[in-house]
Amino acid sequence: MSSQFTTAQLEAFLDESLPDEQMTAVEAALRDDPDLAERLSSLVGRRDAGVHTVGAIWRRHRLSCPTREQLGSFLLEVLPEKHAQYVRFHLEAIGCRYCNASLEDLRQQHAATDLDDSRTRRQKYFQTSAGYLSSDK
Amino acid sequence: MPDSSNPDALLVEDIRQGKPEAWNNLIAHYEGRLLAFVQSRLRRRAASEDVVQETFIGFLTSLPNYDTRRPLESWLFSIAAHKLTDYLRREGRRPAIPFSTGDDSSGAWEPAGSARGASSIARSGERHGLEDQAVADGLRQQIDRWRSQDDWQKIQCMELLFVVGLGNKQVAGQLELSEQQVANFKFDFLERLRTIVRGARLNEDIFPELYE
Repeated sequence: MSSQFTTAQLEAFLDESLPDEQMTAVEAALRDDPDLAERLSSLVGRRDAGVHTVGAIWRRHRLSCPTREQLGSFLLEVLPEKHAQYVRFHLEAIGCRYCNASLEDLRQQHAATDLDDSRTRRQKYFQTSAGYLSSDK
Repeated sequence: MPDSSNPDALLVEDIRQGKPEAWNNLIAHYEGRLLAFVQSRLRRRAASEDVVQETFIGFLTSLPNYDTRRPLESWLFSIAAHKLTDYLRREGRRPAIPFSTGDDSSGAWEPAGSARGASSIARSGERHGLEDQAVADGLRQQIDRWRSQDDWQKIQCMELLFVVGLGNKQVAGQLELSEQQVANFKFDFLERLRTIVRGARLNEDIFPELYE
């Protein structure tokens, strides 16, 4: 049963950086799968022994993560197409937790900005039109 | 001296000097993404806010150890991940992983092809950090080269192979490549990594996947 997870995914589990649903799946499987617990224990042992893996270094240094600015451009759909495709892949196929969190934050900020913007717009419309209200009817 | 071209380093320098406004700025800048990171796992707002609060406290207490050359966002996320793990353990949701016992194949591990025991290659955290950084720098150069050439497919290929851990066949299927193409990309990439390891005079035993 433990074979449903790759070694790279279990390494990411140890670092709390697997996508949410996979973190939950490993936690659930750990409860009744001694093989999985043993694999994880072995990975901890390898780390203790000083062994490196490419995946762990890649994740830890976030080597392929888009910048915050690029995520913002992705959200606004102004990234060049090929680059945007890659960002989508990174967010969805890789499921990068950090970039998904950053994107969610940007979405909320944009939504708040929209709200502020619409409030400002309403105020402007009101102020520039209120003088035309007729009070003599 | 903080690097004036690095606004986060300047911010951290101000925080180190105890300036409340700088601390307030850091919180305002990072709390949203940290909250989103934690909440995606916990799903509960109040508990997530508690973990983010612990993260900020953790940042302040770890400030003497923070190297401003390291990206601030990644440092904060790593603290948040630790605090989240602690929280999940306290809740009983995340089972503790037993540490290796060193008594048999289940826990102990020795590098392939090495006559030395694991204990003899257990090195200091500082040494481990230098190895990690050397390989990360080399990898970053390679990835930047692919980016500049608009060669996103190779980045995707390596990410699926090494970060997710998929096999050549699965990667080929996902990226609509032939297995041979994936194998060729992987071969070139591993060769590049071996060159980085040799160039930095690192012990090859501690990167076993490059020599499998």
